[in-house]
Amino acid sequence: MERWHSVSVLSDIRPGEVAGVRIDGHEVVLWREDTPAASLHAWEDRCPHRGMRLSFGFVRGDAMGCLYHGWQFGAAGRCRLIPAHPQVRVPASIHVRAYGVREHAGLAWVNMEGTDGFPDHATHWPDDVQPVRSVHVRRGATQLRQAIGLEAVDGMAWRGSVGLAVHEPVAGQAMLHVVCARSGEPAPTPAALSHWASRLRDAVESGNPTATIMGELA
Amino acid sequence: MSADRVLYDWTPDVRSYAVRLGLSLMDVECRMQAVDMDLPAPHHADGLLAGECPPVLECAGVRLTRPGTILHYIARQPDVARAWLDPAHEWAILDWLDFGVSALDTLASARGAALATAMPVPPATGALDAVLRRMEDHMAVRAMDGHDWFAAPAASIADVMLFVVFALSADVGVERDTCPALRRWARGLRALPGFAVMPGVPDYA
Repeated sequence: MERWHSVSVLSDIRPGEVAGVRIDGHEVVLWREDTPAASLHAWEDRCPHRGMRLSFGFVRGDAMGCLYHGWQFGAAGRCRLIPAHPQVRVPASIHVRAYGVREHAGLAWVNMEGTDGFPDHATHWPDDVQPVRSVHVRRGATQLRQAIGLEAVDGMAWRGSVGLAVHEPVAGQAMLHVVCARSGEPAPTPAALSHWASRLRDAVESGNPTATIMGELA
Repeated sequence: MSADRVLYDWTPDVRSYAVRLGLSLMDVECRMQAVDMDLPAPHHADGLLAGECPPVLECAGVRLTRPGTILHYIARQPDVARAWLDPAHEWAILDWLDFGVSALDTLASARGAALATAMPVPPATGALDAVLRRMEDHMAVRAMDGHDWFAAPAASIADVMLFVVFALSADVGVERDTCPALRRWARGLRALPGFAVMPGVPDYA
């Protein structure tokens, strides 16, 4: 599980949307096609032409366009259109580095080393899940995982219907991702969970005990 | 009508931008009087009084110098859509507008330390972080309740003021991926007709 990073709740990346995220300091563009399939992609956040951040760009159907010169990249990151030279058949060597991406348990998971190795135990997590929110915490991922009782190899911690995951955008900072299974035990409302997550964040940042706050989740 | 309104405007100033953006979104015409506060005082602009700093709005005998008051005044003009200061949500809008004005002061001082000096230093961003936290927590819950804007069903003058705070916080190193709810909200504001840019606020991101 350590190679698969939970980078976002799925409600923050809807069809046609682009979002820059960071994984251990590496900039990644997460974008979803504006098509009926609405596939999710995770690529290096850098246009191979001039190095512009692709997360400043725009989605056109099933392609991602760079803001700078409009180069468009399709499946697997391959460049398919250079607007300044529309007649040119773009060589396959012009492509953005594509990462492994999975949508599971209300979260987007990214593996920068490949597409395989999504762990078997993850298949036991509920899949009918309502994404709640991602919360920024000014403490390292290790400290946050400790506070919520999550082992890095497990990927997610479940407390009743509430699922928690953590990733580290840069050293010393973490994102806490909160989701809630729709079936099973009754759970707090998303708004209540959002407030709960804010309180957990504040406790972790100020070094206060978190056991009581975690205990509220049954 | 536009000839009656004059805005003393300093392009790189964050408060002036808040007013320009509001005027543009609310589709109100106004004569712009450019001011350069980096020049010595006698050369600022004709008509600006001693000690005044842009933005200053002069209109029908009224002279306003605070960005929150100016947006409030513009939203009350008869030719402006009521949604910008929706009477049904007026108190919430004014509350967030006031929050936004203080937040903009906080941002302006941090940004000034980061950019507008001969020897820029990484500014202390503790106060700004606290402001953005409150905004992010609020908009995360608003989104869950199906709302796109801070204080009313449609964009209001509070959103205008708060947008400037969020958009320019990038200049002091606030990363977008730490504020997903604000990123979504800001994207919505950029898509409104009449959205205007300033140096540091491009029409992307």
